[in-house]
Amino acid sequence: MWRSREGLLVLPALLFYIVIYIYPLSRIGAWSFFDDGFTLAFYREMLGESMYYRALANTLEISLLSTALCLLLGYPLAYLMATTALRARRVLMILVLIPFWTSVLVRTFAWIVILGNNGLLNRMLMALGLTDTPVKLLFNMTGVQLGMVHVLLPFMVFPLLAVMSRIDPNTLRVARSLGASPRRAFIEVFLPLSRPGIAAGCVLVFLLAVGFYVTPALLGGPGQVTLATMIDMQINTFLNWGLAATLGVVLLVVIGGIFAVFSRVLGVRELTGNG
Amino acid sequence: MKRRDLLKTTVGVGVLAAPFLHIRPARADKGELVVVSWGGDYDQAVRDLVVPAFSKATGYSVKFDAPPENAKVKAMVQSGNISWDVLLTDIPAVLTLSKDNLLEPLDYSAIDRAKLDKIPKELQRSHALGQRLYSFNIVYNTTQLPPAKHPHNWAEVWDAKGFPGGRTFNFQGGIEPQLEMALLADGVPVDKLYPLDVERAWRMYDKLRPIVSKWYTSHAQAIQLIGAGEASVGCTIGPRGITAKRGGAPIGVDYNQGKLASDNWCLIKGVRDKKIAMAFINQAIDARAQAGIAQRVPYGPSNGGAFEFLTAAEAADLNTSPENIKEQFWQNVEWWSQPGPDGKTPRETQAARFAKWMLNG
Repeated sequence: MWRSREGLLVLPALLFYIVIYIYPLSRIGAWSFFDDGFTLAFYREMLGESMYYRALANTLEISLLSTALCLLLGYPLAYLMATTALRARRVLMILVLIPFWTSVLVRTFAWIVILGNNGLLNRMLMALGLTDTPVKLLFNMTGVQLGMVHVLLPFMVFPLLAVMSRIDPNTLRVARSLGASPRRAFIEVFLPLSRPGIAAGCVLVFLLAVGFYVTPALLGGPGQVTLATMIDMQINTFLNWGLAATLGVVLLVVIGGIFAVFSRVLGVRELTGNG
Repeated sequence: MKRRDLLKTTVGVGVLAAPFLHIRPARADKGELVVVSWGGDYDQAVRDLVVPAFSKATGYSVKFDAPPENAKVKAMVQSGNISWDVLLTDIPAVLTLSKDNLLEPLDYSAIDRAKLDKIPKELQRSHALGQRLYSFNIVYNTTQLPPAKHPHNWAEVWDAKGFPGGRTFNFQGGIEPQLEMALLADGVPVDKLYPLDVERAWRMYDKLRPIVSKWYTSHAQAIQLIGAGEASVGCTIGPRGITAKRGGAPIGVDYNQGKLASDNWCLIKGVRDKKIAMAFINQAIDARAQAGIAQRVPYGPSNGGAFEFLTAAEAADLNTSPENIKEQFWQNVEWWSQPGPDGKTPRETQAARFAKWMLNG
């Protein structure tokens, strides 16, 4: 492989990765073990403090819920886009991409205007007489999920769409002609064929969600303090980079573990899109 | 042949990647001073009112960068790639940075004596010289709590029945919990605040928790929350409240029992030209320059001489005006930065306890 000219094609990307990603990452890994010589003090400090477990649990809870909600909302949408006329598909695509047109910060501040106690939505609900007191939509899990799903949805929709649009519509017709109800044809033919899209979309959304920082901090409450927030605090407030690196490594290992379980369940080949 | 290809590829990657690598960050040209502040209107005011005189005297131009994050300072000094000269930052940052030996001591012989005489002694430190005063104040929504009926002291801020609506206080952002306000709310007199009775303050924080609608992460967010009525009153930077009020937001500021603190000029360790950097600082603390800046951005000037150039109405909005400064107290930075038996300062201990308190409920 490496002797062939084609092998060289991978080299630029590989070098780029080593310089930009692998090297800094290994440096961060090293920080977590060294402080005037080798030490496990950072890991002892982290593992002995329940606050970090809580932050990790918050992070995973938020990310898993976002992934599930994105799948729930994204799957029917991607199905519609895959099966509708080309022009309608283009319009839908633009609508899905709109959240990308504004910065995360602006978008997150805008949610406060819409979802607040005196926000547009609550004022509307109260004007319609649907509620007497404002519904609490902000500074709790609801606010965080609204803010995050809004941003993450395209990352679920596009992998799904890519896979779904490659599914031969004839397979469904065959299933119908053999007597399957539309529902059964969907569940037994379309759904399994779209699995690689589900896997890719879920992995993408989950990994991005784990790294979310601004949205949970601005739209969440004390129950949504994430590990990213803790890392930021150690880096910027306390300049304790050893502990920050440790938190980062632990997060990486936990995510790696989840990823391993995930690929075990769904199959590695589906994750890489060769299913 | 193959080897040459490899070489070409490697060089190609290097060239392509160079813009992202930051091996050599945009370093100032000779004859340019890099001042790192917090951006926005304040920087523009400094640019208009300090830089011309400085440039005329030294021939140096000034480039602005923002914000002066501790982590960035540390990375610069450690890597030896120092592209900043002068920093404007708060005392907690000054203490964290000087503890890690990331700041250069100031050269007070380069500052005009007459100017120093008008600056409070608390603001003249070995590594930091005060430029502007910010303060943590009672900032309230004037629609929900009309000016006559708003909380006038921290005890009233803690009183949810007497003064309805949610509260907003800081969490994260490198600011310690407002333990002073908690003690004042519990009836501790201002002159008996320090040393802080930490346990008593935390008991008051327990009482605060249920009435806080949002623990804000930045002062910009605090102002938005109060302006939008998501919180009727909060503890945030008074001058920011004044700015919002001038912009038409339904926001009021009560300076009573406010906590004064300073943003200060410092030099990064290994500053390229200390003489020039000190000349800039000397120009920035000029009374007339500071008065002009305060007219535009309502932070208190550190140089008391500035008030000679301000009208009574302009002074009334400023936290360091003779009337307002009397109602407030100085944050005792020494108490917050005195390392305890475990080598950690109360700032570190209390900020860590704050995070624990928040997460573990």
